[in-house]
Amino acid sequence: MSELSLVVVAGLITFAIRASYLWRRSSTVPASPFLEVFPLALFVSLATVGLAAADGMLEVGAGIAAGIGGILGAVLGRRRILWVIGAGAAAFAVARLV
Amino acid sequence: MHRPSVLQGIRDAAALAPPLFAFGVLFGVLAVDVGMAPWLAVAASLIVLSGAAQFALVGVLPAGAGAVLVAVTGLALRHVPMSAALARLLPAGVGRRRRLALAYVLVDETFGLTVIAARRPGVVIADYKTGADVVLVVNWLIGTTLGAVLGRLVDPTRFGVGELFPLMFLGLAAPLVRGRRAWITAVAAAVAAAVAATVLPEAWRVTGAAVAAALVGSRVRE
Repeated sequence: MSELSLVVVAGLITFAIRASYLWRRSSTVPASPFLEVFPLALFVSLATVGLAAADGMLEVGAGIAAGIGGILGAVLGRRRILWVIGAGAAAFAVARLV
Repeated sequence: MHRPSVLQGIRDAAALAPPLFAFGVLFGVLAVDVGMAPWLAVAASLIVLSGAAQFALVGVLPAGAGAVLVAVTGLALRHVPMSAALARLLPAGVGRRRRLALAYVLVDETFGLTVIAARRPGVVIADYKTGADVVLVVNWLIGTTLGAVLGRLVDPTRFGVGELFPLMFLGLAAPLVRGRRAWITAVAAAVAAAVAATVLPEAWRVTGAAVAAALVGSRVRE
């Protein structure tokens, strides 16, 4: 399979899964606690894997410092995204210097 | 189109533009580094339009087509509940072509902004997400193009780009952590992700941890 075909197939798989519920015009997705909490679970999982275990091992380092900084930023900045990113990036930079 | 909702989507997504752009550059650099033609790297960003899937694609490319497709499928499965959650927010009047356009850009970042925006009164969800999607696609494509063209001349990881993206997800999670159920879900997700990162293959970690944590959270009463 050529690289271009592989990219196209990857795109088709991704799109088909993304459209699985959205394509139906009269979508009757029932309200469920699972769907309600899934976005939060997804974002915390993405953040944890990226900051604490990017290489498949739990690491106590600058990534964790960035996470703590981000949480502090969320508290101080009334949960604004820019505060989280800014405080997390600052904590990361400081941790790398120390 | 509801202009204020489109503009609000653009404004909110602008906060995410720097990390999106930087990650696009990183993808372009890595893709060219593993031998992908620059035009194909840009085509991948246009066709797949999924950071995680694209990084997996270039990461396991040497292992062959089978490994790539398993990795891409594992990462894409998290879009099933995302698709269902977004479908719930759309009124029945939104046409199929529009729905498919929204599905094409069903990515973590603008999905997160849309879920948060849906809690505000007066926001037209389809229009809001369209505005946010435009910002995402433009930054992702320009970043990829720049990274693919400059190639090894730049090393975005030197500037902590790898940490900016997870911080963005932390920022998207922050407004959603309200109430007992949300707190328990967040803690469960952090624990599940830490465990998944050490026991699951890379492509299945986030999907596995998010589903497990959502199952825990869905059993908690508010």
